[in-house]
Amino acid sequence: MSLFSAISVSASGMEAQRVRAELIAGNLANADTTRTPDGGPYRRRDAVFTTAPVEGSFADNLAAAGVRVASISVDASDPERRYLPGHPDADKDGYVAFPKIHPPEEMVDLMGASRGYEANVAAIATVKDMIGRALDLFK
Amino acid sequence: MHVDLGAYLSYLTRRQEVVASNIANADTPGYKTHDVGMPGDFSTAFAQFTALPEETPGLVSRNDGNNVSIDRESRLLAENDIRFNLATQLLRGEIRTYKMAIEEGRDS
Repeated sequence: MSLFSAISVSASGMEAQRVRAELIAGNLANADTTRTPDGGPYRRRDAVFTTAPVEGSFADNLAAAGVRVASISVDASDPERRYLPGHPDADKDGYVAFPKIHPPEEMVDLMGASRGYEANVAAIATVKDMIGRALDLFK
Repeated sequence: MHVDLGAYLSYLTRRQEVVASNIANADTPGYKTHDVGMPGDFSTAFAQFTALPEETPGLVSRNDGNNVSIDRESRLLAENDIRFNLATQLLRGEIRTYKMAIEEGRDS
């Protein structure tokens, strides 16, 4: 019965979307962070998804697969400069480097992650029902 | 004609797996929607449905090369569920008949 691997596939989708939501939460929380251990302002992070075979399934075929976070991309573009001469992190011209994070964009992304998570949950619920009915055959 | 319901269930299981995979990869750049075609004849007994999923033609790709339509997938999810329900109901009927025969026609 490979309905169980369908659950694994959806679970991998849930995990990936959760990681994405976590990164978005981190971006929103650090929208005004001007100081990081690496130096400079915080940089926007985003999850890069890739297909991945799920453990213990699809032995004969890798075309249908789960998903995983392949890497976390860090925004390398120039930070936003704001003129704040009194700021402790201001450079000699009085400009402070702020992360290039736009909250509306992050919120839309967060909605996408949340909907994706929901879709995977719905898939698991359906497959669970199917397994239940298959077990009912023995009654 | 005896239809192999087990094979049909195998097919539905396989399809649900592929649909789950499409949903999981709805945000994976470059991923293409896959589907398994229904065999023309289920009457030939085969224990496990083995057809490979193929790319589904005619879907619009987004900028990231992904063409998963979440509406299509949720429809298929529901459709497969209903078909699975139907098939298990039929199978239960079949099993009940065997049970009755074993119990010499006594109603259990």
